[in-house]
Amino acid sequence: MSKTLINVIDREGAVREVEWEPEQSLMETLRDNDFPILASCGGTVSCATCHVFLEKPVVESLSPRTEDELELLEDAEAYNPEASRLSCQIKQCSSLAGINVTLAPEED
Amino acid sequence: MSEESIVIIGAGHAGVQAAVRLTELGWPGRIVLVEEQDGPTYERPPLSKEYLKAGASDEIPALRKEHYFDEKRIERIKGSGVVGLDREARNVTLSDGGQVQYSKLIIATGSQARPLTVPGSDLPGIHLLKTRADAEALRTAMQPGSEVVIIGAGYIGLEVAAAAAALGCATTVLEFQDRVMSRVTSDVVSRHFEELHQEHDTRFVFGTAVTEVRGDGRVQEVVTADGATYAADVVVAGIGVVPRQELAEAAGITVKDGIVVDLDSRTSDPSVYAVGDVTRLIDEENGINRRLESIQSALAQAINAANHIMGQAPARHEVPWFWTVQHGVRLQTAGLRSPDDDVVVRGTPESGHFSVLYLRGGRLAAIDTIAALGDFTAGKKLVASGAHIDTDLAADPANKLTTAVRELVDETR
Ligand SMILES: Cc1cc2nc3c(=O)[nH]c(=O)nc-3n(C[C@H](O)[C@H](O)[C@H](O)COP(=O)(O)OP(=O)(O)OC[C@H]3O[C@@H](n4cnc5c(N)ncnc54)[C@H](O)[C@@H]3O)c2cc1C
Ligand code: FES
Repeated sequence: MSKTLINVIDREGAVREVEWEPEQSLMETLRDNDFPILASCGGTVSCATCHVFLEKPVVESLSPRTEDELELLEDAEAYNPEASRLSCQIKQCSSLAGINVTLAPEED
Repeated sequence: MSEESIVIIGAGHAGVQAAVRLTELGWPGRIVLVEEQDGPTYERPPLSKEYLKAGASDEIPALRKEHYFDEKRIERIKGSGVVGLDREARNVTLSDGGQVQYSKLIIATGSQARPLTVPGSDLPGIHLLKTRADAEALRTAMQPGSEVVIIGAGYIGLEVAAAAAALGCATTVLEFQDRVMSRVTSDVVSRHFEELHQEHDTRFVFGTAVTEVRGDGRVQEVVTADGATYAADVVVAGIGVVPRQELAEAAGITVKDGIVVDLDSRTSDPSVYAVGDVTRLIDEENGINRRLESIQSALAQAINAANHIMGQAPARHEVPWFWTVQHGVRLQTAGLRSPDDDVVVRGTPESGHFSVLYLRGGRLAAIDTIAALGDFTAGKKLVASGAHIDTDLAADPANKLTTAVRELVDETR
């Protein structure tokens, strides 16, 4: 099986390629690769500290956001209806190879 | 001189976060993470939530993958706890007799479930829920049709009650107080959750004290002070936790129902930090004196300990928050309420989605959101800002809480 590599753009704008392991959520991959997302709720849609932006076509290819995810996101300062997702809700999948993931700014 | 090392006792939420933060900040020496339990690190919230559900996965999510620790050169000692702390020699003794030297020590030993102490408390069939092993044992014991008696209607007791009822167990909750979650929330929220559980056939008995557990070789019934008996195949005690402060206490570090720490997570010994459930944060200047059992607080304290060790300023102060999910209904709390606060209900409990605002001197001190996540982040910011709020505006769910905030901010400009 080929590796799923993705590009992550951090809050300073630097791009880094990382491997997304099977069985991991996108949040876990970001966290294990030292990106500064706290993910304090461990991926249970409670904290919104794993907020990322994906490109529009990627968002459209994913299963839709749950009501809880949407409610949390809508309240985030940097919310972008076309791009915002909670990374803990995104499972690894080979069709996501090569995508660009941008960390949302930290909330005030 | 040998390389400087930081020893962290306990690989739970706080201990792991402390190790992670130290590597993030580039700690140049060794980091040794000691954990008495065997196996990978793990998240605790799922133990009383997803994991107990029928058909749930056997996997409990790890806090970090095992290879993460290898890659970061965080040394793990597993399956051997710390049994002794010698502050003079700056070393800890492990249960297998080994010793580890430290330059700085971080105590992250968490808490333990308060055990039942009434006669019969040692009968098989009585469960506590704190560790992965506890959750495995409880999941095996709770079978469809079992009689499950839960002692204590706090978060853990209620999450277990929801799981038991969903599994088709006959579920009874015995509670000393007159309502559920009385320690952490207001009457209106308690009643809402009580009804929710009743709709799922859970029986509550309030104002009752358990005096004995009886059984021939294993639990059969629970007895209360008024002489009533409740048949039980499984008994779960969810009656709170106690900090695991013994090591610190024996070593002469200041403890007061929790290891006393400041905002930088320092204990009374400058080489020793403590983080997470085991601590009591005392900051007289800001009127803080509390022991919190929450992940958010464990992570914040861990970050602050690492920051202090690395000469960095403490992280921005975050409002304490917590969540629970019962029968699919999510309760999120931000801030710390006090029983004297003015209570404002935003929306109606009947609709199933509402929030409860706790006001102190016209400022929002805390908020509970019930299936109303949209209010959570905004409410948390309002609590943090300390701004006065317009109760009429805030009480009407037609106004976004954020809007209410903004208008107020504008007014004060
Ligand atoms: C079932 C359950 C559900 C929960 N749900 C939520 C929730 O939804 N939201 C929330 O915010 N909080 C929740 N909590 C509370 C939360 O888990 C704790 O606040 C958090 O785990 C505290 O982190 P900690 O690192 O201080 O302690 P822990 O995570 O308990 O870790 C302490 C670790 O130290 C180890 N240890 C102790 N003594 C020694 C020793 N002498 N030597 C070596 N190792 C030692 C223990 O084995 C343990 O692994 C829940 C707790 C439980 C039990
Ligand atoms: S990790 Fe908390 S919402 Fe994703």
